[in-house]
Amino acid sequence: MKIEAKAVEALLSGSLILNGVDLEAGDRELVGVIGPNGSGKSTLLKCIYRVLKPTAGAVYLDGRALESYPYKESARRIAVVAQHNYYNFDFSVKDVALMGRAPHKRALDRDTAEDFRIVAESLETVGMAAFADRSFSTLSGGEQQRVILARALAQRTPCLILDEPTNHLDIKYQLQLMDLVRGLDRTVIAAVHDLNIAAMYCDRLYAVKDGRVVGQGSPEELLTPEFIREVYEVDAQIMTGMDGALHILFHPGAVRNKKREIF
Amino acid sequence: MGSDAVKRGLLRGKPLYAVTVLALLIILPLSILAAVTFGTMRLPMAEVYRVIQYELGSIFLRLPIPEEWAPGTPIHDVVWLIRLPRLVLAAAVGAGLSISGVVMQAIVKNPLADPYILGISSGASLGATVAVMLGIGITLGPNYVGIMAFAGAFCVSIAVIALANAGGRATSVKLLLAGSALSAVCGAFSSFIIYVAHDDHSTSKIVNWTMGSLAAANWENNAAILAVALAGTLFFLTQHRTLNLMLLGDESAITLGTDLHRWRVAYLVVSSLLVGFSVYNAGVIGFVGLVVPHGARMLFGTDHRKLIPISALAGAVFLVWADVLCRTILPGNEMPIGILTSILGAPVFIYLMARKKYGFGGGD
Repeated sequence: MKIEAKAVEALLSGSLILNGVDLEAGDRELVGVIGPNGSGKSTLLKCIYRVLKPTAGAVYLDGRALESYPYKESARRIAVVAQHNYYNFDFSVKDVALMGRAPHKRALDRDTAEDFRIVAESLETVGMAAFADRSFSTLSGGEQQRVILARALAQRTPCLILDEPTNHLDIKYQLQLMDLVRGLDRTVIAAVHDLNIAAMYCDRLYAVKDGRVVGQGSPEELLTPEFIREVYEVDAQIMTGMDGALHILFHPGAVRNKKREIF
Repeated sequence: MGSDAVKRGLLRGKPLYAVTVLALLIILPLSILAAVTFGTMRLPMAEVYRVIQYELGSIFLRLPIPEEWAPGTPIHDVVWLIRLPRLVLAAAVGAGLSISGVVMQAIVKNPLADPYILGISSGASLGATVAVMLGIGITLGPNYVGIMAFAGAFCVSIAVIALANAGGRATSVKLLLAGSALSAVCGAFSSFIIYVAHDDHSTSKIVNWTMGSLAAANWENNAAILAVALAGTLFFLTQHRTLNLMLLGDESAITLGTDLHRWRVAYLVVSSLLVGFSVYNAGVIGFVGLVVPHGARMLFGTDHRKLIPISALAGAVFLVWADVLCRTILPGNEMPIGILTSILGAPVFIYLMARKKYGFGGGD
């Protein structure tokens, strides 16, 4: 399923957060959105997953305006792992994952054996099956993040949106989660903080700064030292590892100055 | 007992849930039948049940009632016209207030919510006072006092949520302040109307009301509140998924396919109906909507699929026995039931407030 954002503008309490953003994620493509803090990444994703209504422009799913879908319909097509998932309640892990089945249910429908199978499978996929009966609020941030991913998987949608999914995770789980997402074979749009993760896993990247797309392309095309300096205002060196993967090394100002002193 | 077990609910995920619902379904009618035998007038148990047996036979099978048990005899009137209606009322009010407590707690995402604490009962009380003392709304038909009570409850529900959300997200502190402020406003207006009206009969009726009393129960009014309580409970039984989503908040709910906004309004209407009719028939009975759902969460967790039926049934049983206690605790006199539930419920409220975190389901 193809997701397109066309000329999306978003005005939040008087300031223009997104200023005409175009983005396209083709069928089963993993698209990364990168950019410094406050660039509008999250706002863009929120417009795509319907929590924010664009002030101008629109989002399309396979060519049909997202707005024309009832919420239930869009939730059967796009699942979301958002940034903040702190809840003031004590559901069990299984209960939380089961909520992923909600878009497929009408008020009087019962939860079927099929639903429970899908939930168990989703928890298995994210490695949280052993935690099914634990209380969600007692889990660590990373574990909660994985449960929310399981909930999104239980929605069985063709598209997935991830807003900085690796934020709370140890490096092992960062890689595990991205491996998992990579293997899903769905259309994925992910805001990614870590450029190395973005370079390693994404098919294509969009760089957002000050509410505009300032560059797009494959990680190899986009991530050059010049471009990183322009967007992030840091010096970086790009290396290709033995596995052919892109690695970005940063040279912070302090280190650079120290080197100058020595040499 | 690990704190994690308490958080999830001690009995959640066990077949005990089904057993508990079944047990409560049996306990409720048994409780009512047992409670009929308690009272200031000592009546032999066998005679009490004979009255009920003949009345039910007459209603459902059109059997004649023998002379000595017929309407007009003291034993018939005490059992069938005084005690039984008030117990049925107690059950309906208990279920209605518990359910509306559960729903209010989901709407404001805070387990401290309760129709009494949020001032909704006061709103209902004001609506009913206006109707009784000033005759406003008399054109609405025979149940106009109940309808006015509902209108009062609904206005206060909306106002509390609007007030608590003014200038940023609602927090529990703002909710409680908004509730007590509106409760004070409604209480003051009710008192003012009573004071100005100078009608001794209505005044004493309304004073009874503010303390909660089931004594005025009769079958005609019971029909209305039973219908409302039953319909409200059935409605919310179908809403467990949306109620669960409410606890996740608006954004998560949208990504899971539900726009909460219109549901919130619908739930406020139905829970205001429950509170309005409860207050109209039994006055202000506080803390039922707080204590019963809290107990249910401690045992079965936060999932509304279980919480709604357990709370409704447990609330009904709770109020039936609370009424028995009210009728027997003071020799030769009756204690207003609102006072009893406050004595029992206020400490629970204080305990919940004193805890740092307001977790749903027991907390840490």
